[in-house]
Amino acid sequence: MGTYRLRVAASCALAITVVTGLAACGSGSTAAGGDGKSIQIWEGYTGVEAKVFAKMVAQYEKSHPGVKVSTLYVNSDNTLQKVQTAVAGGAPPDIAYLYGSWAPNVAKISSVVTLNDVVKSKSVNWNDFWVGERDVATVNGRVIGMPALVDNLAVVYNKKLFAQAHLPLPGPNWTWSQFEADAKKLTIPSVKQFGTAYVTPGSEDTVWHWEALLWEAGGRVLDTGNTKAAFDSQAGLTALDALRTMAVTDKSMYLDPTDSAYANLFNSGKIGMLVTGPWDLSAFPNIQYGVQIMPSFPGTAGGHQTISGPDNWVVFNNGASRVKTAENFLLWLTAPSQDKFFTLKTGNLPTRQSTASSPGYQSQMDASLPDVSAFISNLGNVKLARPQIASYPQVSQVIGNMIVGVLLGKQQPKAALDAAAAKVNQILAGSG
Amino acid sequence: MSLSASLALSRRRLGERPGSRRLRRTESLTGWAFVTPATVIIGTFGAAPIIWSLVMSFQHSDQLSSSTPFVGLRNYRQMIHDPAVASAIWHTLIYTVLFVPGTMVVGLFLAVAMNRKLRFMWVYRTAAYATMAISTISEALVFIWLFDPSYGIVNYVFSLLHIPQQQFLNSPSEALFVVCVMTIWGWSGFAVVIYLAALQGIPKDLTEAASIDGAGPVKSFWRITMPLLSPASLFLAVWLTINALQLFDEVYLSTQGGPLGATTVMVYYLYQQAFENFNFGYASAIAYLLFIVILVVTAIQFRIGRRFTYYRS
Repeated sequence: MGTYRLRVAASCALAITVVTGLAACGSGSTAAGGDGKSIQIWEGYTGVEAKVFAKMVAQYEKSHPGVKVSTLYVNSDNTLQKVQTAVAGGAPPDIAYLYGSWAPNVAKISSVVTLNDVVKSKSVNWNDFWVGERDVATVNGRVIGMPALVDNLAVVYNKKLFAQAHLPLPGPNWTWSQFEADAKKLTIPSVKQFGTAYVTPGSEDTVWHWEALLWEAGGRVLDTGNTKAAFDSQAGLTALDALRTMAVTDKSMYLDPTDSAYANLFNSGKIGMLVTGPWDLSAFPNIQYGVQIMPSFPGTAGGHQTISGPDNWVVFNNGASRVKTAENFLLWLTAPSQDKFFTLKTGNLPTRQSTASSPGYQSQMDASLPDVSAFISNLGNVKLARPQIASYPQVSQVIGNMIVGVLLGKQQPKAALDAAAAKVNQILAGSG
Repeated sequence: MSLSASLALSRRRLGERPGSRRLRRTESLTGWAFVTPATVIIGTFGAAPIIWSLVMSFQHSDQLSSSTPFVGLRNYRQMIHDPAVASAIWHTLIYTVLFVPGTMVVGLFLAVAMNRKLRFMWVYRTAAYATMAISTISEALVFIWLFDPSYGIVNYVFSLLHIPQQQFLNSPSEALFVVCVMTIWGWSGFAVVIYLAALQGIPKDLTEAASIDGAGPVKSFWRITMPLLSPASLFLAVWLTINALQLFDEVYLSTQGGPLGATTVMVYYLYQQAFENFNFGYASAIAYLLFIVILVVTAIQFRIGRRFTYYRS
């Protein structure tokens, strides 16, 4: 009897432990303490970036006694999802790395801290950040983040394939018709070699490549008040026609629905030119590549432009003192000397203009990652940002399907533009 | 030993009078103690989200701003008028109709082929089941390369056989079939194991008796083996259908719903609505529609299946 009772008591105790254990999990047991000096950051760094970031955090803690900065790795693709859950549970991180394309939606979260007063301070020198970064960190005049990363698109080409085709290398004044002609000459069907490639999952990756062409042709995605579609213009047609010529007429463009195969193919010498960003350069160890800015459409107002997809550090409110600690850490992290240190070690582009122009910096960058300086100077060609509206994801899906429809030869450019514009107008009117 | 018998035995061991009220209370306490951990876990991670998403399906919720106003049946009404929902249902049904019989036929064929004594049979069986053990992401990557329009092995084989080159994942009319081939391959191992186990449960004397009565191998397969496999077939049909209606991973990894929405199945569409467009209320309503579809389809399967299922007892 005694052992029986004991067993019952033991199993009850076990059950209670499980229940209270689960409850403890739910009550926001973050690593941060209550003195306001301990903060938690969610970041998505891997490899070299993770090592360098950890080093910087350790350095900060050393130079700021009493402050504890704990970092938590979260895959950047999923950070917003996890932040949403954490906010619902009442325990958001103090700082999170969030994609710039989410900014208008992030601004809706009530615990996001407004940073206007912080970035106004002279020591921050807010205008030292590239205009593309400042635009993405600002939603309707409200600054909701500090720039965490900046990149842009340029043309990466295979020097050997150009030599084999007896083509001169692309120069800074080149045009899209030159690009098309080069792509055609670089295409050799018998060895399955393509002039260029385009990513066609229909996602934002499909869309932002085209948006750069649209801007270069002098067009805009939406009108100035973000109330109506503006891409169904002559510029939109020019941009879409250029891609269609290569994909459908010349068949000089490898269409990659997986968004991942193109890099391997370029590194295997199967593709002549890629419109891509600096993050891909380290994936091309087998190729002698060069980097050139995007070609232009002569006769249009656009000139040479590019698109940038900056990301933000966003601060969440966990009480005034922790907000202060988080802001101080971010100001230190994004200051010129840290920007220089981090980008030199990782090959990321500098988030500050003063870093890019500091003496010897670009040649130091090129030494670790050949020709990355072309991407740095290309940051000056970022003139416009994607529309900063909460319904941009829906707009992007419509434009993505429009581009894929044309590239697969299923739709004619003009009809595709008109149909997509009608759908976008519906979304913007709030009935989509 | 049945449960009541074992309880009676334990009572006797404890020297207690059967039917003692105090004892019964202690017993039920013990029972609760054992099921509480599982109940709590299932309740927290299973039941609570199910109920919460039901509530959310009547709300306008983006999971960002704190306001979540109730909108009545608006999400459900919107669903009826959304052509994307209709095409997602259509894609899901086509996929299910191809995937479920496809997997069962492949599984049955392999299981019958392996249901014999051969040297190194364990190698073949392991190989067949390995498709279940391989992660979906590696599976997707391999199939993306197999079916690459320019560099893939499938188009290479087609060129040797003078079959015209296909666009596969780049073609809105072919992409769903490629996804189907990929998932049939992935699930065939599961069907093999179920069928193999069922085949080994068929007593030899039945097939021997049939052959003495003059039935050939084909006849005895259709008249003896297939009916005896019917419980396994029903189980597979129900299980695979539920899985087919919930297709997500392979689409997410290979086509992201494209090209031009050709592989946007129901779960992928609701994922897009929830996590890309932040329409959590609308996505929850779609989830409940899917729940009802699964409920109805499964009920029909059991109904029809009962008529064709033969239990030996």
